[in-house]
Amino acid sequence: MTRNHVLGRRNVLKATAGAAAAGLAGCLGGGDGGDSRTPMDVTEWPPEDLEGNLNLWNWYDDWAEYAKEEFGNQFDVTVTNSGFSSPDQWYSRLQAGNEEMDNIAATTNWVERSIENDYLHELPVDIMPAWENITDRVKDVSSYQQDGKVYAIPEALVLYPLTYNDEHFDSAPSSWDVLWDESLEGQIMMWDNSTVSCQIAALYTGQDPVEPDDFGEIEEVLKQQKPLLRTYWGDYQQGMSLFVNEEVVAGPLTMGRTYTARFGEGAPVHYTAPEEGAMFTSDLFVIPKGAPNPMASLQFTNWGSQKKHAAKLFETMGYMPAVDIEDQLSKEDREFTNWPDSWNLIFQETLSDEVRSRFDEIWTAVKAA
Amino acid sequence: MGDTESTERGPGGLAGRVRGITDFAREHPRVRRGLIAGPPTTFLVLFFALPILTMLVISFRAGDINGPFTLDNYTNFLTSDTYRTVLWRTLLVTVQVTAVVTVVGYALAYSIVRFSRRTTLLLLLVILPFWTSYIIRMYAWINILQSGGVLDSTLLLLNVIDQPIGVLYSQTAVLVGFTYVWLPLAVLPFYASLSNMDPDLIEAAKDLGAGPLKAFLTVTLPTTLDGVVTGVILVFIPTFGSFITPRLLGGTDNIMIGMVIENQFKSAFNYPFGAAIGIVISAVVVVLLVLGARVGAGNLQGSDGQ
Repeated sequence: MTRNHVLGRRNVLKATAGAAAAGLAGCLGGGDGGDSRTPMDVTEWPPEDLEGNLNLWNWYDDWAEYAKEEFGNQFDVTVTNSGFSSPDQWYSRLQAGNEEMDNIAATTNWVERSIENDYLHELPVDIMPAWENITDRVKDVSSYQQDGKVYAIPEALVLYPLTYNDEHFDSAPSSWDVLWDESLEGQIMMWDNSTVSCQIAALYTGQDPVEPDDFGEIEEVLKQQKPLLRTYWGDYQQGMSLFVNEEVVAGPLTMGRTYTARFGEGAPVHYTAPEEGAMFTSDLFVIPKGAPNPMASLQFTNWGSQKKHAAKLFETMGYMPAVDIEDQLSKEDREFTNWPDSWNLIFQETLSDEVRSRFDEIWTAVKAA
Repeated sequence: MGDTESTERGPGGLAGRVRGITDFAREHPRVRRGLIAGPPTTFLVLFFALPILTMLVISFRAGDINGPFTLDNYTNFLTSDTYRTVLWRTLLVTVQVTAVVTVVGYALAYSIVRFSRRTTLLLLLVILPFWTSYIIRMYAWINILQSGGVLDSTLLLLNVIDQPIGVLYSQTAVLVGFTYVWLPLAVLPFYASLSNMDPDLIEAAKDLGAGPLKAFLTVTLPTTLDGVVTGVILVFIPTFGSFITPRLLGGTDNIMIGMVIENQFKSAFNYPFGAAIGIVISAVVVVLLVLGARVGAGNLQGSDGQ
């Protein structure tokens, strides 16, 4: 046998190890990370030399479809969108080292977590024209701004109101106590979400929903409420369907789903902020570190905050844009987006670890009761 | 052409190198075993053992995956009445689902093997639901089971009921949903073991005086036990960790441990606690399955092991 034919054990092991290492390297990625520029490298608007692609992660699916076409055509960029149902889906990708996502529609508390872990690019808002369009109500809620740096631009305000059947009720319920009304047994629902449900119970019992002082009372009233409920809903579509199918007459639902139920499905529903108050948060455009197309993403962030496109967001999804778009809306829509000054709206600040943990324990105990 | 042949087939060509490797492997059994078992072992280590190990390490952290070492996650879970209640309810639902799926699945597989000639078509129909998304299947069941839904409409049409019953958001709805989802997982191993069974054994039992039930318990079931155990395992494990079905179809009382774990990652942001619960229930499931398989096998084999 020639030398070429005889393979020593060492050679076989070396070849195997080499193949395994190559395979592992392939599995673990190691791309070049795309465009190395960052948003803060842009000193004059508009950013130049946009990349040819843009990968969105935006859960406003219908608006994202509009944006893909409009933005794509305007800037000659191929846009894709990965819808998601829960923020942990994109957050886990940030934890793993982002090389794919360019622009995310991220909820405030997840944005804060991302900033703390240095996952997001700072944005040059001083030179971004659309920054001027953001309403003061949203700018004041500045948890996406830290140490003088801005890491996001608000996309929409997300209100967690009390949604109700406006044929069943003569007027909007004035208190969360409607969710504890025994005469409505089997016709009310709660959200299967520890934070939202415990905060509603905190408001109902007259406590601060961000820093409650009597967790025992929250647990007690939630347990009292349980036999009255049709169900706990855990999926936005499911929550909306309960109203559309008229299985419930009152319960917490987002403003956007209420809008879709009312105008998209023809359900007799409306929403209100009870006198004890209602929580709201915001969804924001962020550019994650590792984004392969940061310039296109920056341009998109500005584009999405222009009045015309923000109005489209409301028309397709029903969430209050972070931009003043009143002059762009129909009378019907203007009425729907009217948040009276008398409403006590409370920003859903990021909870302390202790409060979040207690809410989780309470919610598990309530469901297991 | 000649150069190509010498490159591909000559002593130093590709074919020669391949032959060299096979010759070497043939002469060295340990290397041969390594070449065969190496890739799947590497895969399992990378994508099963290492993640489990990572989860184990995280489960001993306090609050955050980089937090200090602690045993609190385990003590909090194991000493809490709430979590023990959730675990117990999960176990009950899982046992119920497994029992229902096993009985229905075995009857279905038995019917396919014994009474039908269109086995391929029927098996295709059994696995057909897998072609559709899990979530969509659950929403289909919502439409069927909700008040005034397809089920109510049909029963009203047939005068079986006089007003909608709406079984959605109940324990029954959860059982129906789970049974539908996991039935194919049970039917396939049941079918495989039943189709390998010699039907003459049943005839022999009957010739020796056994009735249908005795023939089933003493011949059919023991002969197909491997398939039954496989089917039970395939149903038991995913049911124990489920959270989507009870969330969408269940009412206010249908909490399962998978929902608690999900909450740790999506809402409570307590990854270590979620990891600790995951480790505990993994251990519980493994122990239960080993015990169940041994007890089941022991009962069927009889005291003398026959």
